[in-house]
Amino acid sequence: MLPTRALFGRSVWKGPNIVPLRLPLTIPPPPNTPPIRTTKRAATILPNFVGLRFAVHNGKTYVEIQVTEEMVGRKLGEYVATRKRFTYKQSKNK
Amino acid sequence: MKFRHQTTCGKTFGLTEDFLPEFNEKQQVTAPNDCQDTSQPTHFKMVFILGVNFPERNLLKKSLQTFFGIGGNSSARLMSRFNIHPTCRVGELANKQVLDLTAVLSEMKIENDLRREVLNDIKRMKETGTYRGRRHALGLPVRGQRTRTQIKTPVKLNRMERRL
Repeated sequence: MLPTRALFGRSVWKGPNIVPLRLPLTIPPPPNTPPIRTTKRAATILPNFVGLRFAVHNGKTYVEIQVTEEMVGRKLGEYVATRKRFTYKQSKNK
Repeated sequence: MKFRHQTTCGKTFGLTEDFLPEFNEKQQVTAPNDCQDTSQPTHFKMVFILGVNFPERNLLKKSLQTFFGIGGNSSARLMSRFNIHPTCRVGELANKQVLDLTAVLSEMKIENDLRREVLNDIKRMKETGTYRGRRHALGLPVRGQRTRTQIKTPVKLNRMERRL
């Protein structure tokens, strides 16, 4: 019954992890603008990101995500998986 | 001879007179005891708390904990709120205390309301496509535990519809 349980993840005095990203100058961005490429997976999704498209690094490639309202407050990396599911590959030479 | 006889008679009579009231008292004392003895085995005597029947002899603290969403901490808090001692049995409760407890419990978010809330939170995580939601759906540990060994609990509980 700790009222501050939700805040245990990160110190309050730090605030959310705000990373300077190259956001488009006009919102909503004009069509055919490329998604914002970033490797900052730990960046908190801010309310002004809603509707933007990001290309988040998964360690190998950049995966595109569309930010919706429900994603606000979470991290960019939560929506891009870094691991592949294990699949057994038949080896040629036994 | 006569005198002795009288005295003995008197003594015996006196003794019986002395004993009789005691005996009566004992009977009177034993009578309620018998009543208690008969009431104890019949533990069918139940107390209603929030629509659930609890046997009289159960500990109140444990009985409150049978509700989903009430653990040791919150049940102790509830009891201290109504000045109930920690080892209180359900049968010892006054009628008003039972009503108070029921009133407070009905306002709290417990049982099915809480279950629904937890399931909705997990469902939202799945729909938005978070890592945590995916781990729930796969039946794997959600909070970064190792998966090489010892993942019996998440395998058992993390399903498409989370077991609670």
